[in-house]
Amino acid sequence: MTEQQFRGLEVRDLVKKYPKAERNVFDGISFDVPKGQVLVIVGPSGSGKSTLLRTVAGLEPIQGGTIALDGDVLETGKPGTEKAGRSKRPSALRTRIGMVFQSYDLFPNKTVLGNITMAPVLVQKRKKADVEAEAMALLERVGLADRADAKPHELSGGQRQRVAICRALILHPEVLLLDEITAALDPEMVREVLDVVLDLADDGQTMLIVTHEMQFARAVADRIVMIEDGRIVERSTDPDEFFAHPKTERAREFLHTFEFERRRKHEDGEPIREFEDVD
Amino acid sequence: MSDFNILLEPGVFPRLLNGLWVTVWIAGVSVLLSIPVGLVTGWLMTAKSRTIRAIMRVYLDFIRIMPQLALLFIAFYGLARLWNWNLDATGACVLVFVLWGGAELGDLVRGAIQSIPAIQTESAYVLGLTGPQTFARVVLPQAIRRLLPASVNLATRIVKTTSLAVLLGVVELIKVGQQIIDANRFQYPSGTLWIYGVIFLMYFIVCWPLSVVARYLEKEWATA
Repeated sequence: MTEQQFRGLEVRDLVKKYPKAERNVFDGISFDVPKGQVLVIVGPSGSGKSTLLRTVAGLEPIQGGTIALDGDVLETGKPGTEKAGRSKRPSALRTRIGMVFQSYDLFPNKTVLGNITMAPVLVQKRKKADVEAEAMALLERVGLADRADAKPHELSGGQRQRVAICRALILHPEVLLLDEITAALDPEMVREVLDVVLDLADDGQTMLIVTHEMQFARAVADRIVMIEDGRIVERSTDPDEFFAHPKTERAREFLHTFEFERRRKHEDGEPIREFEDVD
Repeated sequence: MSDFNILLEPGVFPRLLNGLWVTVWIAGVSVLLSIPVGLVTGWLMTAKSRTIRAIMRVYLDFIRIMPQLALLFIAFYGLARLWNWNLDATGACVLVFVLWGGAELGDLVRGAIQSIPAIQTESAYVLGLTGPQTFARVVLPQAIRRLLPASVNLATRIVKTTSLAVLLGVVELIKVGQQIIDANRFQYPSGTLWIYGVIFLMYFIVCWPLSVVARYLEKEWATA
């Protein structure tokens, strides 16, 4: 596809099937996340957004297409692998992609610092002292330096997600996948997590994000892809344009579900009594 | 009430303590040997292969369905005849209690491993941990926490079940008690109550700390 060395994540003609399912979850979808950019995937629940991130991370087998990072192919789909489980991707390749899940992914038996330092020491064989220093710097950055020795169950949901982000970042992943990381949080904790993500975006961290926070998507995205039923409905490199004037009817409908308004009175001042004709 | 004096007869207490020691020895050795058997059994119960899982299922169900006494008789009388094994009564008890404890502990291990949410192993995978690293650093430490309270309860069950060893002729706590009662039948006609009372207390002293530990662990480790 790209003769010039493409930098970033390339997903080409991805096919994904579940065992015994009649139709494919994805029937050949393609997109790029160029290095330093943020791609946000939006779409209704059950449209396959999380599955897409999981295939990129190697958690789900793919039955066709390729996933490549900086030109290195991480995954090549093979038909008949529906039940294969996780990809055999070697750990050195896995650490090039970081991922934060919706919730409950910190290791409860380890402290905050222990959670963050485990993989770099164990997998990347880095020196413990260096790793701890970097972990503390990351915690400082997300405002949690004073909680380094806390256990995950002592933290709020928002704090846990910030720790999970640090745990992914310390491996220096080329791409960071964020799978609805604020969906399980109380509304007042969403902000503290999303601020961290915005900060990362400003720093040039390549990210692939699935979210239901549309305001946030608009602010953080360089590119937007909307998917539904495993197909790309609309894609855009201009988030403001996408949110203000979506090109497809389906995207318009979808975005409209996030808008709320209440017409209290008719123009003539009579209260509306519409609910009686609702069928 | 005067039959209380049976406890003051010379030799009664030392003999009871000897009996207690046999009980604790059988139970202790059985529990210790059950741990590795249980860990391996539990690991095999979560194996990918259906055949292995089916074999472990049959093993567990067989041990659970059979009364322990029947197992003891099979081990002591049956195996000795069949393969000409010279298994003494104590050995037969330990064998049966290890097979039983191992199966029950295995089922606890299986439950604990399977109760660890998939997201934990998925996080470890994404962080680049290998399969064995994930098992040793992420799954096992969490599984052991969930497993310990129930395993301590299992240990108390093993201690209590050692009383069946009497029926193979092992001279453990209960048997010693019966011997003392028989020997003093005429001098202390109602000594029975006192001897069994002491035996009750001895079982209690062994088992009670275990249940305290189990309750403590359950409370302490409920979080996380």
